[in-house]
Amino acid sequence: MAKARPIPGLSGEMRYSDAATATIAVRSDELFEHAAGVLDVTQIEAVHAMRVATRRLRSVLEFYEPCLDHEQLEPILDQVCDLADVLGQRRDPDVELEALASFAAAASEAERPGIERFIDRTSEQQQQANAELAQMLGQIEADDLRGRLAALIAPPPVVEPVAEPAAAPGEEQSASAAGGEQPVPSAVEAAAPPAKSGWLRRR
Amino acid sequence: MKARKVKGLDPDGTLADNAQRVVAARIDELYDFVPAVLDPSRVKKLHNMRIAAKRLRYVLEVTSAACFGPYALTATKRVRELQDLLGEIHDCDIQLPRVQQIRAELSEDAVAELGRRASGAADLDPALASGLPHSEAWAGLAALEHYLAVRRGLLYDRFTTVWQDIERSAMRARLEYAIAERPSLAVSDDEMTPIS
Repeated sequence: MAKARPIPGLSGEMRYSDAATATIAVRSDELFEHAAGVLDVTQIEAVHAMRVATRRLRSVLEFYEPCLDHEQLEPILDQVCDLADVLGQRRDPDVELEALASFAAAASEAERPGIERFIDRTSEQQQQANAELAQMLGQIEADDLRGRLAALIAPPPVVEPVAEPAAAPGEEQSASAAGGEQPVPSAVEAAAPPAKSGWLRRR
Repeated sequence: MKARKVKGLDPDGTLADNAQRVVAARIDELYDFVPAVLDPSRVKKLHNMRIAAKRLRYVLEVTSAACFGPYALTATKRVRELQDLLGEIHDCDIQLPRVQQIRAELSEDAVAELGRRASGAADLDPALASGLPHSEAWAGLAALEHYLAVRRGLLYDRFTTVWQDIERSAMRARLEYAIAERPSLAVSDDEMTPIS
């Protein structure tokens, strides 16, 4: 099983919300790195590694939940849980088939037909679970799970103060200052994210 | 099984203080399954204890080196061992009914066939019971069923031994002490290799 990657710079003294950013970024990368080869039923360790990575990601999302935006987190967590379930459904027959192969090898000739029948049934389950996994992988790609995870921990864009253009002589008094129209927001202000951004709560 | 909500977490507080609260709650969750799991027939409880162990393990995996005293790392290994063992017991608990289900399906087929052969007879001729469908599968399925049942028993015995060791070594008290400790020296990234 793949070892969990260390979280660079993580310390007990850092802010909980800063630790959330650092940890989720690493665990998210781990998940997508393990996606390669998972649909190959002859490479069962790939599914196992991705399943463990999914569990680790789920665990840190739950652990850091108070630091995260709930509206963004919930659908992400639901999808990570669904992915974990589908990976589990694939992993179970993988493990079972491996154990059954050893059992069949040790069995007598008379016992083999019955064991093979169970193996056939388990192989059907594996194929069905693999089809569901393929569908789920397509879904997380279409839903841009990776991008949403990045947005969940992304810092807010830095809003540069816009320099006021030098007032022409005789134009010191603007329309707003004179009690006229409200000031028009600058292009940068208009592009700024709404109040409920993807950044960590209470940041 | 849903994880219990942990109260009083503060995003602006330190990682260690928040992690301490979460780990304390996860320890409680794990130990709540005792004594129920000391009854081998409590399949659901054993499964839920595995989930509780998994939750505790993964939080410790991220936080133990960075936040807590040294025993937290030792506890992470013990919890992982417990989780793995409970996982193997769960595998048997899932497979055994599946083997029994196939046997039941094949048996139903054989009985239906025998009924057809006996159709209209006043009594059943023993010769008709010979060469029923799937008879070649019985021996293997029976062997598999017995294997899974006995293996489950052995794994469960191992679980009780591991649990006794955990209790004897006072893992709970030592882990609760460790999560209240803070590493005295800053830990470098290289030293923070989590448990796999």
